[in-house]
Amino acid sequence: MEKNGYIRTWVRDWLEIFSHEIREIFHDGGVMLIFFVAGLAYPLLYNLVYLNGILSETPVAIVDEAACSDSRRFIREIDATREVEVAYRCINMAEAEKLMQERKVNGIVYFPRDFGEKLARKETATLSLYADMSSFLYYKNAMMATNFVMLHEIGQIQMERYSLAGMTEQEVSQTVTPVGYEDNNPYNRAFNYSFFLISAILMIIIQQTMFYGMSLLVGTRREKSRNYSSLPENYAGYGTMRIVLGRGAAYWLLYLGIGIYIAFIVPAIFGIPQRGQFLDILALLVFFVTDCVFFSMTCCMLITRRESVFLLFLAISPICLFLTGCSWPTVAFPKFWKIVSFIFPSTFGVQGYMNLNTAGGDISAAGFQMTIMVVQTIIYFILACAGVFFEHWVIRNIDRLRETRDDIAQLAGIDREEDARIIKGN
Amino acid sequence: MGNWQRTLQVARREHRIIRNRPLYFMGSVGVIVFCAIFFLTFLKGGLPHDIPIGLVDEDYSTTSRNFCQQLDATQLGKVVNYDSFAAAREDMISGKISAVCVIPKGMNEDIQAFRQPKITFYVNGLYFVSGALAWKDLLQMVYLTNGAVQREVFRAKGYNDDQIMGLIRPVEIDTHQIGNVTTNYNYYLTCILLSGILEMIVILVLIYSLGAELKFSTSRHLLETSGGSIVTALAGKLLVWTIIFSLIGFALIMLLYHWLHFPINGTVFNMYLDMFLMIMASEAVAIFIFEMLPIPRLALSVGALYSVLGLSLSGFTLPIEAMPPYIQGLSVAFPLRHYYLFYVQEVLFGAGFAGWWKEVVWMLCFLFVPLFGLKRLKNAYIHQNFPKD
Repeated sequence: MEKNGYIRTWVRDWLEIFSHEIREIFHDGGVMLIFFVAGLAYPLLYNLVYLNGILSETPVAIVDEAACSDSRRFIREIDATREVEVAYRCINMAEAEKLMQERKVNGIVYFPRDFGEKLARKETATLSLYADMSSFLYYKNAMMATNFVMLHEIGQIQMERYSLAGMTEQEVSQTVTPVGYEDNNPYNRAFNYSFFLISAILMIIIQQTMFYGMSLLVGTRREKSRNYSSLPENYAGYGTMRIVLGRGAAYWLLYLGIGIYIAFIVPAIFGIPQRGQFLDILALLVFFVTDCVFFSMTCCMLITRRESVFLLFLAISPICLFLTGCSWPTVAFPKFWKIVSFIFPSTFGVQGYMNLNTAGGDISAAGFQMTIMVVQTIIYFILACAGVFFEHWVIRNIDRLRETRDDIAQLAGIDREEDARIIKGN
Repeated sequence: MGNWQRTLQVARREHRIIRNRPLYFMGSVGVIVFCAIFFLTFLKGGLPHDIPIGLVDEDYSTTSRNFCQQLDATQLGKVVNYDSFAAAREDMISGKISAVCVIPKGMNEDIQAFRQPKITFYVNGLYFVSGALAWKDLLQMVYLTNGAVQREVFRAKGYNDDQIMGLIRPVEIDTHQIGNVTTNYNYYLTCILLSGILEMIVILVLIYSLGAELKFSTSRHLLETSGGSIVTALAGKLLVWTIIFSLIGFALIMLLYHWLHFPINGTVFNMYLDMFLMIMASEAVAIFIFEMLPIPRLALSVGALYSVLGLSLSGFTLPIEAMPPYIQGLSVAFPLRHYYLFYVQEVLFGAGFAGWWKEVVWMLCFLFVPLFGLKRLKNAYIHQNFPKD
């Protein structure tokens, strides 16, 4: 009977805290803005920005001092690639340089005077590529185009030269490519920028909007009452678990909805590949959202005012993006930052989502990430509980703490009353 | 009391407020210091190396072992051996390795007999940089292998090495990377990322500072101090903040180009100018946002959205040309975009005034934007009739 009573109270408290939190969320315009406007519109906006994702036809200038049939063929082939477009043909380098500086072209291909002669003499002819490094994608395009053409040309020229060296046709083809290759880029054929970046941004949006929204709410309550925020009035120093679980459940439920929208519907709208199994990704999402809830709760301990979260933690978003390893590879992380990357749920959420959704692996492909997320969830749950406990202690001892603060101010020679008067504007 | 004295008084008041709210210090200096430390140490390597490449060797011959060792010896790649393709594929999907290379059974024999065996490789393009680098490394290795076989053939036919080079390598490209010779990602990303974060800080902190007057109902006191003039009030506030932001910005430029010796073709002095203009333009944007939405939290949310988007729309990663046309036009409305274009002219091309004067004009245009809403802001400050939280 006794035990039954405890469980019943527990569930009733939990339910009350849960519904209280939900009510708070829906009554706060700022939080609604973050959860529903930012959470729903941000993914669309980023998809629009990175809609094409591929840079094609980068303009280059050609300086052809060789003016021979070989160089002209080369130029035609460069022009024919997807990556590069021959926008200008210049008389000399000075003219091309000027075009590049005016950003009319993002690369210069230069054929020196002896290009044709060297080819005719069966020597190695050299052409030069000058690439604009203002964005590495310009450089990548210019380099890929010229290299593809070069490899193709090498094949052609080798065939001629080997025939001249007295080989039969079959011998020639065998010698030109003694070892063939077949390259596959199964998940991202054209190195599309949006496929990798959008997958990462989507998961980061889940984590960050949840964190910002929750912080706003916590900050507001702390501003209003200087009381532990997350406690209903009848909290009497026990039941930390039900508070953390009750509050968490509110966000968890909301974010499962928003998460499903972000992880399944948004990619479908914009044609981002969805190769994984629905249930696998859903399982990952549940793990990730749970992890994010307790992570946000833990971080919210640092928030004392409503708006401070933006000032302090907005810059964390790009940092989280780098720590996922989607652009800068994890193997190149310095040790310290590798450890730091284990703090954020987004690191593993993004990796898991990419492996399951975009690469189409089964659930085992995200096994490692999900294990880490479980560990994180446990740690953050304990920390969130500790936070509630600590805050309660602070509330009970607030007077003593204030005295200490005034003492310190006096020691430092700051007149707190005078400052307070000026801030208040009397 | 003259206008100058009033401005100074507002500045003194602002200074006092800043001193009393650690949030301002943490939100400006704290954030930029953390981000600078992060990006500069995180990207310290410049270019990633030792990218894990899975190798499934089904041949077990001297040739395949040699290929494997050579691949391992490249700066870019590091070989991880697998017994079966299935295992390697699984690790590629889960992101542990960036590529899988399969050497077919009997490759050595096939090469000797000129049966043209095929090396197959698979790249995980979802991890962008590592995928692209692994791909480049593997392609290069295959071409080197081909070259080695061809060289043996021609040596056997009695050609000397000079002739052979002409035969197997008829065309060569020498690549010049203008402004970043070592393809260093640190030089490439950090300059703009840190400036972008500074833009973010300027916008958020200034909006917060303007909003705090409403939030704590001190706006009338502010106007009293400034003698009822909103221009004087803003001038006083901006005086303090411009000094603080400029100091941060100049420290950043000094850190990058003096201390860490990031390559720069132009002169560092012009970069100070660029930084100063970006800070002024961002301040103007912040004021404009707050004038239009004098509700602290809404203005902050809009400011946050705007400044995060600024990083993407500056076009330093995915160029603007690759974005949809209606997004391209939007990029002009971000000071960071003009900062970036100025930076390209000065740092990469060393073009000087002739190269960047248009960006200066653009950034100066931003300064006129807040004029439109001054009256609205003044009314909001007098009546305090907007929701406070």
